[in-house]
Amino acid sequence: MKHGGVTKFSIQNLLGPIIVLVLLTHFVGSASTSLQLITQFALCLFVMVLALQVFVGNSGVLSFGHGAFALIGSYISAMLTAPVNIKDNALSMNQLWQPLVSPQVNIYVALLISAAVSALIAAVTGVFLMRLNGLAAGIATFALLGVAYNVFFNNKKIGPGSQALPGVPLIENNWILLLLAVISLVLVYFINISKIGRTLRATREDPMAAPALGISIFKVRLISFIISGAIAGLAGGMYSHVAGTFQVQDYYLEFTFITLSMLIVGGSASIWGALVGTFIITAVGQVLLMMEQDLPVFGIQVQIPLGSRAVIIALTFVGMLLWRSSGVTNGKEFRIPKIGRK
Amino acid sequence: MVQSILDAISLGGLYSLAALGLGLVFGVMRLVNFAHAELITIAAYTLVLTTQFPLAISLLFTIIVTVFVALLMEISIYRRLRGVNPAIMLIASFGLSTVLQRVYELMFGALPRSAVVAPFLRGDFKIAGLSITISSIITIVLTIVILLAMGYLVERTSLGLQLRAASADFKTARLLGVRSNRLISAAFGLSGVLAACVALILVIQNPQISPYYGLNITILSLVGIVIGGIASLRGAALGGFIVGVVLSSLNTLLGNGRVYAYSWLFLLVLVILLVRPGGLLSKGSELERV
Amino acid sequence: MALLEVTNLVAGYGKVEVISDVSFSLEPGKSIGIVGPNGVGKSTLLQAIAGGIAPKSGSIIFDGKSIAGKKPEDIVRLGLSLVPEGRQIFSGLSVKENLALGLTGRRNKKGATEAILKMRELFPVLSTHENHQAGMLSGGQQQQLAIARALISEPKVLLLDEPSLGLAPTVITDVFERLKEIIGMGTAVVIVEQRANLVTSFAEKTIVIRDGKVQATLTPADAANSESLQRSYFGAGE
Repeated sequence: MKHGGVTKFSIQNLLGPIIVLVLLTHFVGSASTSLQLITQFALCLFVMVLALQVFVGNSGVLSFGHGAFALIGSYISAMLTAPVNIKDNALSMNQLWQPLVSPQVNIYVALLISAAVSALIAAVTGVFLMRLNGLAAGIATFALLGVAYNVFFNNKKIGPGSQALPGVPLIENNWILLLLAVISLVLVYFINISKIGRTLRATREDPMAAPALGISIFKVRLISFIISGAIAGLAGGMYSHVAGTFQVQDYYLEFTFITLSMLIVGGSASIWGALVGTFIITAVGQVLLMMEQDLPVFGIQVQIPLGSRAVIIALTFVGMLLWRSSGVTNGKEFRIPKIGRK
Repeated sequence: MVQSILDAISLGGLYSLAALGLGLVFGVMRLVNFAHAELITIAAYTLVLTTQFPLAISLLFTIIVTVFVALLMEISIYRRLRGVNPAIMLIASFGLSTVLQRVYELMFGALPRSAVVAPFLRGDFKIAGLSITISSIITIVLTIVILLAMGYLVERTSLGLQLRAASADFKTARLLGVRSNRLISAAFGLSGVLAACVALILVIQNPQISPYYGLNITILSLVGIVIGGIASLRGAALGGFIVGVVLSSLNTLLGNGRVYAYSWLFLLVLVILLVRPGGLLSKGSELERV
Repeated sequence: MALLEVTNLVAGYGKVEVISDVSFSLEPGKSIGIVGPNGVGKSTLLQAIAGGIAPKSGSIIFDGKSIAGKKPEDIVRLGLSLVPEGRQIFSGLSVKENLALGLTGRRNKKGATEAILKMRELFPVLSTHENHQAGMLSGGQQQQLAIARALISEPKVLLLDEPSLGLAPTVITDVFERLKEIIGMGTAVVIVEQRANLVTSFAEKTIVIRDGKVQATLTPADAANSESLQRSYFGAGE
């Protein structure tokens, strides 16, 4: 991963992605019902990729565990907003712990709580995880995901276990999701150019240099881990309100792979990379899906065998790593190309 | 009780073989090969799809196929990633693992393929009034044989010497004439053989092969390597063994709570990593060589 | 024709050019010293010749063949061995195993046993500490091991990067005595040293590198003249 990352505030770096995001949401999101759903899911995934970007992009530490935060965020938001009678009927016969049945709050309060609880979990686990380096950290974050999955999948007292929780209220308005995405984007942007971001990037190549400069790598890493946990929790919460359900399997390996692909293909060093990556993977995925189902794409009809879509996306991911590990954006933020000035 | 102990040891042995396969590649390339899972999976598929042949032929063919896939991985993908930063290698291997899982789904379908492999190895036999599963004994014997063979290879052959030297300091090893490409290919090939052995043992007990067959054991073995110490093959095998024993023991001891065995294991790993970031065989808080 | 001919070599790391234009030649069985201030690129030079890094430009002709950019494991098989800076022995392996690794680079696979015996004669410490872990040897012993390890592949040219590093004066004298023997046996030797006096009196010619280039060529006669040594080392009028 290229050690990119911007250090100075630049209005076009910030506004560029926002404008692109708004335009995409408006045009694609209103084109048809199916495209609207795709856009909504994409916005949730984008927020998730932002969460990855703010941590992985700055610290250089790979995290396979952020799905755990999305899972927790989704679980909380779903459980807090699902109608009481659904929880009662669908779940309590499966021994759902009574106190979890009754609460019901407003969606936005629930999302806030999701982010907060995820941040808390990130803080607690981060105290342990952020002391580790390189491989150990990667494997340990995998363990984090494993534990979350293992616990939620099997525990019927706290949640639906391996089944889906139905009846989660939907956020039907694209603009609300967009607003949440923009807020996350702005937050991540300012973290990236802040002292935390710069410190993380500066010391990741040379961990020995940090103590010499009086910096605690552990502290800055922990802070960025907590923030990224919060945003991941938000993403999970959003996802549950687009899908209308909470299901543990939705946040495991497939989710981890897709979000990491978006990060890598777009470029892990910038928010523009996060946006580009989310767009490319979503768009390519859709096109391939239609080709699998022998539907015409922009008038052209090509069929590919069932199952090859998944292979192609995975190959794209690996291919990008081989070709340009800094992603399509090559570590850069959004910039209006300077024409005529070479 | 005796059976539980045998189960624990045999699972430990199985995991130590899996961890060793990972450790070989990690030693020479500092690469954690997530796709090792897919080597185990393809070996399992091959075993299950060739049951019409005698076991020896089926096994031989499986080893050939698995080694072939391992070498293919190395030549087509990992060779281009030599010297690249470890985070990229890690995520590339994750990506390759996913690619192969999906290819298997394309080739074999998502529904499990199954066939009974070596039916004579199932069942129990009675000794001294106890009833013991044949497979646990066979697993233990097989593991011991393979570990001894690997030990001999690593400690007493020229190839083993080169592997050990390259794991310690590849640059200097090359200056002495160790051929990097050949050595790395040898490491991958050996890891393929080990994967095939692991698959054989797994398939005897569980012949339902899905594209994700090898994932579970690989992830846990990875955890084992990190516990045992990334720095050596001995550490890898030991770490794998510990994971297997702990997992089996947790399964026996936890009773109804045994679904959470993984969580307990992961938590144990976290604790160990905190106290000894370099693994159990390392000396305290060594800065990692990754 | 020179055994080793380096011409206009440019080498460095990433975008940084450490060596910008170095040329020298070495005849069979002769010796050449390379000196210069710390950090000037002497190690980089040896690494570029031995294949540890690829040169950016320039040519390296060894025994009539161009070896610039070749892999180190191929270069050692052509007959050019490097004893790297800091010796880099495998401390976890035994002395015997370290030596055996040196055999990997032999062009002629036969005669390995004789080669081992010869090394043991030259460096008795290899016999006495045969099965000990190499990491337990003293600095001087490790240096002997490192040289033996490089020598056992019977190279035509032996490169040594700061063999005196970290060694006591008597040990250094001992090491250099053995190097004399090695040269006497017909191996051409390139010795990089930070301490100019050590090698200038020893080698047939010594080149001084500063600012990435060869600034002067000294002979053993110059070793006695400390003023001219200093001048070439630090540059006249600086």
